[in-house]
Amino acid sequence: MTISTPQRGYRVVDAIRAGEAVAPEVHKAARTDDPVLEVHGFSLWYGKSRALHAVDMAVHRGKVTAIVGPSGCGKSTLLRSVNRLNDLVDGVRTDGDILLNGSPVYGSGVDVITLRKRLGMVFQKPNPFPMSIRDNVVYPLVIDGERRRKVLNEAAERALTAAALWDEVKDRLRESALGLSGGQQQRLCIARAVVADPEVLLLDEPCSALDPVATLRIEELIHQIASRYTVLIVTHNMQQATRVSDFTAFMYLGRLVEYGPTAAVFQSPHLPETEDYVTGRFG
Amino acid sequence: MIVKRRTPQSASGEPIVWVFGLALVASLAAIVVLIGMIVVRASESFWVRPIEQLTLADGSQRLGSVVRREVGEGGVSRTLYQVGNRDLGQGSFTWIADREVEGVSRPAQAVMLERSAWGVWFGLPTRIVRLTEGGAEPLGEGDTFWAEFERQHAEAIERERAIEALDEGELADVNREREAWRLRIADVRRRASESGGPAPLPVWAWGVAVLAACGAGAGAVAVRRVGGARAWRLALAVLAFLAVGFVAIEAPWVRRAPSAAEVAAVQAEAEKALATLDAEAASVEARIKAIEAEDAKYRVEVVDPLTGRFAPESLSSPDVPMRVSQVVRVVRANELSFGEKLRVLGARWWEFLSPEPREANSEGGVFPVIFGTVALTILLSLAVVPLGVVAALYLREYAKQGLMTSVLRVAVNNLAGVPSVVYGVFGLGFFCYAVGGYVDTGPAEPLPRLPWWGLVAAMAVIMAAALTLGAGVVRGPGRRGWGAGLCWSAAVVLLIVVVMKTPYFDGFFATRAAEGSPTFGARGILWASLTLALLTLPVVIVATEEAIAAVPRSMREGSYGCGATKWQTVRRVVIPGALPGIMTGAILAMARGAGEVAPLMLVGAAKHASELPVSTDPPYLHLDRTFMHLGYHIFDLGYMSQDLEATRPLVWTTTLLLIAIVLILNSIAIAVRGRLRGRLVSAAV
Repeated sequence: MTISTPQRGYRVVDAIRAGEAVAPEVHKAARTDDPVLEVHGFSLWYGKSRALHAVDMAVHRGKVTAIVGPSGCGKSTLLRSVNRLNDLVDGVRTDGDILLNGSPVYGSGVDVITLRKRLGMVFQKPNPFPMSIRDNVVYPLVIDGERRRKVLNEAAERALTAAALWDEVKDRLRESALGLSGGQQQRLCIARAVVADPEVLLLDEPCSALDPVATLRIEELIHQIASRYTVLIVTHNMQQATRVSDFTAFMYLGRLVEYGPTAAVFQSPHLPETEDYVTGRFG
Repeated sequence: MIVKRRTPQSASGEPIVWVFGLALVASLAAIVVLIGMIVVRASESFWVRPIEQLTLADGSQRLGSVVRREVGEGGVSRTLYQVGNRDLGQGSFTWIADREVEGVSRPAQAVMLERSAWGVWFGLPTRIVRLTEGGAEPLGEGDTFWAEFERQHAEAIERERAIEALDEGELADVNREREAWRLRIADVRRRASESGGPAPLPVWAWGVAVLAACGAGAGAVAVRRVGGARAWRLALAVLAFLAVGFVAIEAPWVRRAPSAAEVAAVQAEAEKALATLDAEAASVEARIKAIEAEDAKYRVEVVDPLTGRFAPESLSSPDVPMRVSQVVRVVRANELSFGEKLRVLGARWWEFLSPEPREANSEGGVFPVIFGTVALTILLSLAVVPLGVVAALYLREYAKQGLMTSVLRVAVNNLAGVPSVVYGVFGLGFFCYAVGGYVDTGPAEPLPRLPWWGLVAAMAVIMAAALTLGAGVVRGPGRRGWGAGLCWSAAVVLLIVVVMKTPYFDGFFATRAAEGSPTFGARGILWASLTLALLTLPVVIVATEEAIAAVPRSMREGSYGCGATKWQTVRRVVIPGALPGIMTGAILAMARGAGEVAPLMLVGAAKHASELPVSTDPPYLHLDRTFMHLGYHIFDLGYMSQDLEATRPLVWTTTLLLIAIVLILNSIAIAVRGRLRGRLVSAAV
């Protein structure tokens, strides 16, 4: 990672670089009594290297929360820890816990499959499955055992409408999803993520592989969807974070640095390092 | 200051590009020459060649058609003539030195007679006769000959068809029924004479077993109701299951051998049925005889100019002219226009493709050969694709990648390098004799009753243990422990031993095997296709593994992110994504399998198989039968034939057929793959 010359002393970031534990700067407005997700002292190791250092964070219900930070700061890892996709990587170890609507995500009694069914996820690269558009959208329902054609078709229409894709594909639902353009594929993936009414929608840099026009459409879509779902979005695009999110968390080297309402974080951050990062002078 | 050098000629790679281009041209040329030569040779094989009448220096006359010319030893130019007329004691091909020939003409009336036996006959047709009590009544001669011949030949073909229909229809049905009755008698006798496994239990012992089964069952239900420990419930359930199995298998009415009275009853019934069948057969045979007698009246005389003899009915009766029905085709080679020659060419190709071979494969058609090749290829694909795909799925998706999987991969790749005849030897020893023998007659050395039931019990216990050990980790991310894996391996080994050593199975075809004609315990199309499946297994496994590895990680993650289990991900995302690659593997396997000959010689290909592996008699699919195969047929025609000159053209046409069939099968598979690709992938990605 390239770090431009620091222009002032950074209290928190310097401490993090020195490997000391520092309490994150959490704005008062970012605290909530009714969080959808609570991250409690959550740490994660890939083999011997530690990717997350005792992160504490509460995600607001019905809001869009953005996680920003330089590459390798652990923001994607944190997102993938919520639905335990990191389990697929060999040698992963965790400590602490995450609570999804009060129920633990980690622990011996947790059924990972059921947990993942409560969440929706959209990835960096559009990843439609090698099947028809309709089958892609209703995939989460089908693997959950839903077989009634009528229910599936209605769900597909609802989700595709929610993802602003229905009008473009309603005449070609039987065609392969791999024939759609990149932006359409990503909206299809969003439709797939919301079809089963997830408790939280996890977006992992959903626009990083798209052109500016497609990016704009996805951002509008996130706005629309945010009225119904809680969204947790990882992005490295500051403008995107300001455009779509209500709250912003700034992470650095596996630690939460500052967390607050987006307007506050971008316009009057408590820490100088946050201000330098969001204005592009650091990180 | 550094002076930059000029770019040398060699750095541009220009000469190398020429070498590359030459290599490509050479490869293409090799393919074009190969295909071109086969196509040219095959297409000229059936072309009508003119018939030449030679007047030799000694004054004798010969009829024949030119096959090829060459300059032999001492600069003597000579010509190979096809002269046919083997019945006269001459070779059907003969070299004639050009200086011995005094005159060559092409008589208009000369014909080449293609006969149903004894090859071709060159001659001059004289007349058609109808044999009567007193002598021969001429029907057509001179100008009226050809019109009469066409009429009589059409009728003769009708009669042939009628005889064939009776022979292969009613007579064959009757014979099949006779054989079935005969086998029934032999079967009941065999079962009456030998007990077939251990002696039946005494009734009191069986009664005890019934009580034990009831007790175990009741116990299992009771423990379940009370809610006892899981282990106890499982143990009692296993015990009850075993006891019920024992009681069912050992039931006195199941194990009882047929009594003398029953044998006698079956025999009486069979004799009655056989008597009716014999009468039926006699009546059909009488009808065939009548048609044959009518057929024998019509004769055609075609005279050889050298000896003045006409084509005989058979070698043993050289003074009787041949029957009209013995003529397959008369080619008036010197009178035919180009269009008519094309028609003869078409007719010869049709005859080559459609019916059965005659005369030790040197004449007639190759339909059974084509059929056998296609059937074998389809069967082998049906066997190898599921097996290979499942094996590759386990190796790539489920097995923990490490030393074990690397060793397995190397082993699979080495299997691809084993010479194919080795597979033939293995197939003969393992499939034909070991597995086939087991299917026919059951285990050679079955275990006694008690040790066998002991093994069954051990297997059941180990399986139950494996289920218990493996149950906790089905849904979670953890790996199955060593214990469950070991238990499953042991259970599978025990299962094989239990099946191999069972005292209760004495084969499906024991009676026929006892008579010395094994059904599955010999060479056949099933064992041949399984052998080829083994041979082509590495191809499918390697191709499938690569296709599975090429399914992007993001797709799998997307599926897991939706809450899919591993199996759901594999079934709905990984396999569909890998399907085009899997199809490629299947195509390669089919192409390789269809062209194999060496192993087939050992495990089932036959020089002549009178019956197809698929027929209208139950059970319709006769996987025990031997079959004919184009690759083996080429070998047979080219090297094993009595008359190499006669079969040489057939080698080319058969080779063309083999190439065409492999091409057609591959095209079908490629078309299917194309459709799949169209469905799964698109240019927009």
